[in-house]
Amino acid sequence: MKFIKDKKNLKIRTAAFVCLFLAAVIFLAPYFWMLSNSFKSTKEILMEPANMLPKQFTVSGYVKVLTKSPFFSWMRNSLVVTIVDTLVILFTSSIIGFVLSKYKFRLNKFIFTLILLTMMMPTAAMMIPNFLLISRLGWYDKIISLIFPTFINAFGIFLCKQFIDDLPKELFESAMLDNASDFKIYYRIVLPGIRPALGSLTIFTFLGIWNDYQTPLIYLNSAKNMTLPLAMSYFSTQHLSDLSATMAAASLIMIPASVVFIIFQKQFIKGISMTGMK
Amino acid sequence: MKNKKFVWAVMLPAMLHILVFIIVPIGIGLVVSFFNYNPLSSDNTFIGLENFRKLFLDADFRLAMKNTLIFVLATVFLNIALSLLTAQLISYFKSNKVRSFFRMVFFLPCIAPMVATSVVFSRSIFPTATGFLNMMLNRIGLPSVNWLGDPKVIMISLIIYTLWVDVGYNIVLFSAGIDGIPAYVYEAADLDGAGEWRKFRKVTLPLLGRSFQFVIVQTLISHFQMFAQFSVLILKDGPQNSGLVLSRYIYKTAFEYKDMGYASAVSMVLFIIIIILSFIEQKKHNVDWEY
Repeated sequence: MKFIKDKKNLKIRTAAFVCLFLAAVIFLAPYFWMLSNSFKSTKEILMEPANMLPKQFTVSGYVKVLTKSPFFSWMRNSLVVTIVDTLVILFTSSIIGFVLSKYKFRLNKFIFTLILLTMMMPTAAMMIPNFLLISRLGWYDKIISLIFPTFINAFGIFLCKQFIDDLPKELFESAMLDNASDFKIYYRIVLPGIRPALGSLTIFTFLGIWNDYQTPLIYLNSAKNMTLPLAMSYFSTQHLSDLSATMAAASLIMIPASVVFIIFQKQFIKGISMTGMK
Repeated sequence: MKNKKFVWAVMLPAMLHILVFIIVPIGIGLVVSFFNYNPLSSDNTFIGLENFRKLFLDADFRLAMKNTLIFVLATVFLNIALSLLTAQLISYFKSNKVRSFFRMVFFLPCIAPMVATSVVFSRSIFPTATGFLNMMLNRIGLPSVNWLGDPKVIMISLIIYTLWVDVGYNIVLFSAGIDGIPAYVYEAADLDGAGEWRKFRKVTLPLLGRSFQFVIVQTLISHFQMFAQFSVLILKDGPQNSGLVLSRYIYKTAFEYKDMGYASAVSMVLFIIIIILSFIEQKKHNVDWEY
């Protein structure tokens, strides 16, 4: 009986492996093709499209991206926006989550419900009022338009509050006996206590802001102020005929983030499945 | 705890921020939809519900609505089916290395900015003569397809791309959900002589319960708002607007035609769809599942 079952399992597993392997090849193919094309000349891409690997290996596409466009400014803009926003969101989410979780005050329930409601606000439907507000503030075509409005993150507050709710009472009681200040309780007890939540929040906000296209599209105008995703579409329309450079730009934008993901994939996957289940 | 000073030092700036950047814009959006509003013109008149009346007569709006619904329903259905199947296949492996390898590969496209992958698909994968996809089709003896130029095909191309770029997220979620189902449940099903399909239907699906609903609603919400591929992967919304969706229609009307009043009315429609979906989700949140 056991033997028959193992044999059946082996069959299922082999079939599963073959399916998954084929799917994995299909999933990676666009990456392979992008990289391969980025090392061909545009002429080779168009004249001999069937070459799997470049016949004449060239880095001219990469040289063009790095020298003929403000690529490093774009990179710097993206880094500044993403890092500042992520740090601020980690701080605001955890401290607001802490207050909503552990303090009794009159508007507590109301504010938490309000924050949950803001989580539903669809960005696609808010393009126009957001644009009008940013222009009125005088922030149009300025990097600050991407940074300041995202400081409060409803999802982050929700996630942190859930985790702080679960921290054991005794932790806080002993701190109160020591007469520790509120802020001290926050950074001595709350922050270390919710590290997994902060980890997955970091991944979410970092990815969301790093990859955001719609917001910079609406708020920014000059090429030098752009962040990478907007710059990508700008570059590809500026160099419509230069496929090689376009693929090089796409590779430069996609590969570093992919490498970071592959190195930290365990934490990524854990963080994402954790929030999905919460 | 109750230190009033600390509470308000934290909450006051937070509430101000929410007021200015979320509540005020909702108000602006609603007000603008009652105006004939062009940011470049000084003459912006109040026209009441005229913009909403126009919605019913506007063939482009109807087309955008139809395309959005087709895209969302097809993509979400295929996404859920494929991600469940893949998560189930991954769960057959005991080795953590094999499992995390596959999860990693399928999740990889979710990491990249959609603009960048859209550019790759539009310039290197889908082109008729030089694209990778047709080359592969030809190699196995199938004819080339005009992926981006044929109004009947363009939605299929967009769905293929969106599945590739987004399915990994749900694979990871379902995978975690299936891992959370205790082994003894399956052992009991084995003892009853249940086949694979039966186990999947009678054990896995019901026990995934909560995460299943969460994933479906979240996927619906995000797909209704998708934007990047519709403005970068296809050119000018495709032949005869065959790839025009609501988010793109709002953008075009507001920022290319500068008709912000009417675009706000279209936004309100999208806004209401998303809010309804979110409320369904909130309701479901109250249902708790225990194994």
